[in-house]
Amino acid sequence: MCDLMPPSSTLPGLADTGIDTFLVRLQRETSGPTWLGLVLGAILYAVTPVATVGWPIPSFWLPASARALHAERAMSTRFYLLRQSLFLLKMYACMCWGQDTRVRQLLNVAPYPEDPGSFRQGVEQ
Amino acid sequence: MRHQPFVADGPEVVLEADYVVVGTGAGGASAAVTLARGGARVLLVEAGPWRDPDDYAHSTYGTLRDMMDDWGATIAVGDALWPVVQARLVGGTTVINSAICVRTPGDVFAEWQRDHGVGPELADRMWRYQDQIETELCVEETAPPSLGRSNELALAGDRAGAFGGHVINRYAKGCLGSGQCLQGCRSLRKQSMNLNYIPEVVEKGGTVLSCAPAEKLLFEGRRAVGVTGHFVHPQSRKRGASFRARGRRGVILAASAVHTPLVLLRSGIRGPAVGAGFRSHPGTGVFGVYDEPVDMNRGVTQGWASTKYRSTPGFKMETLAIPMEMAISRLAGGGATLMERIAEFRHLAMWVHALRARSVGRVSRGLGGRPFIRYGLDARDMAAFRQGMYHVAQVHVAAGAKAVLPGVHGLPYKLLPDQIGLIADGPEDPRCYVAILSHLFGGATMGADPRRAVCDTRGRVYGHERLYVADASMFPDNIGVNPQHSIMSLAMCVAEDALGES
Repeated sequence: MCDLMPPSSTLPGLADTGIDTFLVRLQRETSGPTWLGLVLGAILYAVTPVATVGWPIPSFWLPASARALHAERAMSTRFYLLRQSLFLLKMYACMCWGQDTRVRQLLNVAPYPEDPGSFRQGVEQ
Repeated sequence: MRHQPFVADGPEVVLEADYVVVGTGAGGASAAVTLARGGARVLLVEAGPWRDPDDYAHSTYGTLRDMMDDWGATIAVGDALWPVVQARLVGGTTVINSAICVRTPGDVFAEWQRDHGVGPELADRMWRYQDQIETELCVEETAPPSLGRSNELALAGDRAGAFGGHVINRYAKGCLGSGQCLQGCRSLRKQSMNLNYIPEVVEKGGTVLSCAPAEKLLFEGRRAVGVTGHFVHPQSRKRGASFRARGRRGVILAASAVHTPLVLLRSGIRGPAVGAGFRSHPGTGVFGVYDEPVDMNRGVTQGWASTKYRSTPGFKMETLAIPMEMAISRLAGGGATLMERIAEFRHLAMWVHALRARSVGRVSRGLGGRPFIRYGLDARDMAAFRQGMYHVAQVHVAAGAKAVLPGVHGLPYKLLPDQIGLIADGPEDPRCYVAILSHLFGGATMGADPRRAVCDTRGRVYGHERLYVADASMFPDNIGVNPQHSIMSLAMCVAEDALGES
């Protein structure tokens, strides 16, 4: 996932925005099909460098320049199901990255307070 | 009792009232308040939890987790996979929509009458209720200070290009333009059902059963007498105790175009029309790139719309400021290229079209009892879909955008103003588009012919007694405008008729 959103000269990368904590929480809270879709997307991303940059090794063993090229090409693959799987991965990457306070400040968007996660629980007579 | 939330275990929870209403969104809440005003005791059965404005999520993550049906992961399967947007909490999708109020166009009733045998009196009845709703829910245009730059630009583009648009009427009293419609309005301006009609039902002696997805209808002979199911915890999703909600005078289904047909199917009501006739407004966004910062998340989420092309080719255009993290995920590419594109975010405005699609799908039971929606667009709809995107791009150009981002696989990432014609001639394959289905219709359609419809034009399910449908699943056709007003007024008509029968 971090390959999809590396740091740039003006913006932090996904790795700087608490992605590990985010994923642990997501796995705990989300539905089975959503998590399964994300895992599938991650696996597909890892095993497809052979199709995008011609390297028959997993994406995490690629040198930096090839990783960057793979990140770009994989997201625009002509294979629809692969593209959709990676889109799901990217959407959750953006969700984690975009709720970071520093990111929101840089993009002039109001910061998010903590989500309360609460609801009415008591019987009301 | 006013509210019965999740129950983990123990004996079955049994509640009884005059009417059971399944679903608390636009249809369910409107039906329930009409019944309550008519003197009936109502038991509202809602699959999701009851969240007050202080409980609303702030982030997109929290919104998906706390407010959306199945984390927003319900997908319509056709040639492409497009997600379906609906909420799951007390108040339903009215909590997370932009509160857009559009009166039912007259041609809709003409079509319903011609093609489905709906009586001519329905139009006047629904419009009378729409007058009432507009007063009760404080419908007004968003005031200029709350519009924000994206909506101002759309209005300017509209004026320059004569696209027939206007400031949107919304169920919102004194909107502050906080841009939080889609996460629920914490400033209490948006008049979602959990703030008005549902509390009124409770004040009049009604009860809300929350965290209680209805599984099956209960019958005594052919007469519907209630629903049954198990509580589901909104955080752990663990199944709790069973419940039984009994309605002495009838049961009204208003669980949405996806879930109402499923309740019928699970209850053994399996005619060929059940689940059939599913329709929607597929739509997608086109970004405009402006020299000035737009900061599209400042100002009302949706403030401008045009229905000029609603009949031909058949789409509506609107502004729509989705949360930043969702907007940037729509920018094509990955890696360093994506980060370069995100750096431009402050200069982007996202506007959308919603297609009045003629294509028809079906809702059925999928794996694990989840909804399975079979739905795709035919070639004619895809042509109109591309036209809609092209027109949105035209509004951007008229507003002064220096480029547009169509977000279409197979087209360049960025198009200059003189290149936007490429969108109209874009790929015909729906898989090249990232779209969503909002505004869902059908699945339990009304009509005069029991072979083609699930219920009659008063919402009464054929072949059963005291069982009614009162939500968008009744709609036999695609209305081409934001449906909340139509859903609410139709549900009120169904409830009024139900009261008259008992």
